Amino acid sequence: MQNKSCRGLIVFGLVLLSTGSLTGCLEIQQVAENAARGSGNERLAKTIHGGGNLIGGLLPIGYEEEQTIGQAIALQVIARYGGVYDQPNLTRYVNLVGRSVALTCDRADIEYRFAVLNHDSINAFAAPAGYIFVTRGLLKTIRNEAELATVLGHEIGHVTQKHILDIIQRSKQIAGVAEAGLAFANKNPDAFKNVIDGAVKKLLDEGLDQSKELESDRLGVIFASRVGYDPTAYVTFLDRLRTIKGDDQAFFKTHPNFSNRLSVVQSTIREQGLQATGILLADRFSRSSNGTL
Amino acid sequence: MNHRCALLAMMVSFVTALTMTDTAFGETVYVAAKTAQMRSGKTSLDPVVASLKLGETLEVVKRDNRWLQVQTTKGVTGWIYSSNVSASKPAGGDNELAALGRSFRRTDASSVTASAGARGLDKASEGYANRSGITQQQRDAVDRMTAYKISDEEIQAFLKSGRLGEYAE
Ligand SMILES: [Zn+2]
Repeated sequence: MQNKSCRGLIVFGLVLLSTGSLTGCLEIQQVAENAARGSGNERLAKTIHGGGNLIGGLLPIGYEEEQTIGQAIALQVIARYGGVYDQPNLTRYVNLVGRSVALTCDRADIEYRFAVLNHDSINAFAAPAGYIFVTRGLLKTIRNEAELATVLGHEIGHVTQKHILDIIQRSKQIAGVAEAGLAFANKNPDAFKNVIDGAVKKLLDEGLDQSKELESDRLGVIFASRVGYDPTAYVTFLDRLRTIKGDDQAFFKTHPNFSNRLSVVQSTIREQGLQATGILLADRFSRSSNGTL
Repeated sequence: MNHRCALLAMMVSFVTALTMTDTAFGETVYVAAKTAQMRSGKTSLDPVVASLKLGETLEVVKRDNRWLQVQTTKGVTGWIYSSNVSASKPAGGDNELAALGRSFRRTDASSVTASAGARGLDKASEGYANRSGITQQQRDAVDRMTAYKISDEEIQAFLKSGRLGEYAE
């Protein structure tokens, strides 16, 4: 970015600032708020004001920290879902589709990386900082590249909206220790482990909130559609899952029921005017996955 | 106002200055793709005249269906595919609050070893792996994921062969 050197200066200044003891938080908060307002950034001033305890935990998690959290969660996803399926051509194909969708997503400045999990269940997961997983079982259920693109678009949506970070930020564990940074993680490895285990439990066992899933469903078709994939492929895919499993025992155990999701996706396609381009690329999908699933 | 408060006030002003929106005349759009090509004409067969980066400011000269004729701040004019631009400036990197928060939290600069695309788990996730019985094989898998590279050219070739993005008919 063009402002890198300026940004470096700021960070340097803030590091200096944070080397002192963190007393007088309220005073600092007031100063920050006034400074923001004084320089015409009313929005930032309001956010600082609303932040309550400005220092540490309640501030958003930065990308550097996000990567640490993403890696730790990714380790656990891989450990619990059969390890990464070692098929270089398939991995490359999934990354090409995923990165094509990510190219024009709402958070295109970070790296997205995709891996296939050697697991028969039908599942997909997104850890912070763009660590995205699909199971072999999910790929077996998919019929064409457009379906894969919308599924990956859904997972990319979790990352662009920072859904997991939001959960971590809201957790009492973090609020209690007031810090979630890397220094904190290194000095309090047990507390960091609790934070990560809590997020993993939410991601793999309990599932994210319904509203987060539906938001990702909407974004999934929008992102895939921007690249030119036919968004109705996602409707076909969700409908297939509903037929296989029905609405009662959610097949994606971590997701809301399919009928609900289908109606949200259909209204998104309608309201956003997403084009049914007919680009499904079934041949490329079967060629690329042929014999490996 | 003590020293640290004064510094903080300075910081906030800096951050604010950085995030001020550019003043513009006419219609302004921003590159919304990680990388995007500007072409001499409004088809993907026309030669590339410039490679544009995420967040770059462009002035719209005219629109034609799914293509926009635009001018860069350096005065280069060409065509760009509409999916590659957006009317609002894409949020790049951390927002100002995240930057503030990160810096407050970073009391031990030596603990930071992670960087995008760098090989190796960072110290904190390595520590997590040690405490969670994560095998070497599983660590290597995340390591490979982190380092996995695909060039922009490969992605463009992939889009092209699928007639996706600006390569649509
Ligand atoms: Zn989801």
